[in-house]
Amino acid sequence: MTEREMLLKKIGTCKFAVTDIDMFLDTHPGDTEMLKKREEYIEQLKPLVEQYEEKFGPLTKCENDANTWAWVKDPWPWDMEG
Amino acid sequence: MFVYEKQLQYPVKIKNPNPALAKIIITQYGGPDGELGASIRYLSQRFAMPLPELKATLTDIGTEELNHLEMIGAIVYQLTRNLSEEDIKKAGFDAYFVDHTTGVAPVSSAGVPFDAFAVASKGDPVTDLHESLAADGKAM
Repeated sequence: MTEREMLLKKIGTCKFAVTDIDMFLDTHPGDTEMLKKREEYIEQLKPLVEQYEEKFGPLTKCENDANTWAWVKDPWPWDMEG
Repeated sequence: MFVYEKQLQYPVKIKNPNPALAKIIITQYGGPDGELGASIRYLSQRFAMPLPELKATLTDIGTEELNHLEMIGAIVYQLTRNLSEEDIKKAGFDAYFVDHTTGVAPVSSAGVPFDAFAVASKGDPVTDLHESLAADGKAM
């Protein structure tokens, strides 16, 4: 597994936890314990996303280098070679 | 509103092409119980929901299904990379290929184009939620 793949996997794992918690919160919006847990995963995500974007380009359109529109750069998510 | 994140929900990394398998998996993309139908179902039914919890749930689940749609598309795409004419014929992929080449198209395994009749949106929350539950059962 390359460093890029490893980072993406870690980010994906945290994001998946957040998504799952989100759906739980949709029907339990007052669950403070879950809200706290969600914050914890968001905190875990921040440095991982930062590290990834610095090395491998933006995951969302927010991150932008002033000289070039890095968003368009390959690889796109479906482009992985086996 | 939707914001794209440049990452699959779970990585797809396929080494060996397999058009015979792609022909089966494509149904999870655009077949009657596939991810396209699932996402459109939830994202359409949500407008008639009377409670905030239901609006939120259908919005988030519908969005989640779009993640799945993208992963299935990536699987089909990667299973049909670098095919020879012989690969295509031997796998029985020629019937798909003649219409779409290796483009990922919303069709079922039998080649039936995605049909919005697979999705119900009736404006009655109880009817729609029952249909959603039934649809989820069919997709298992």
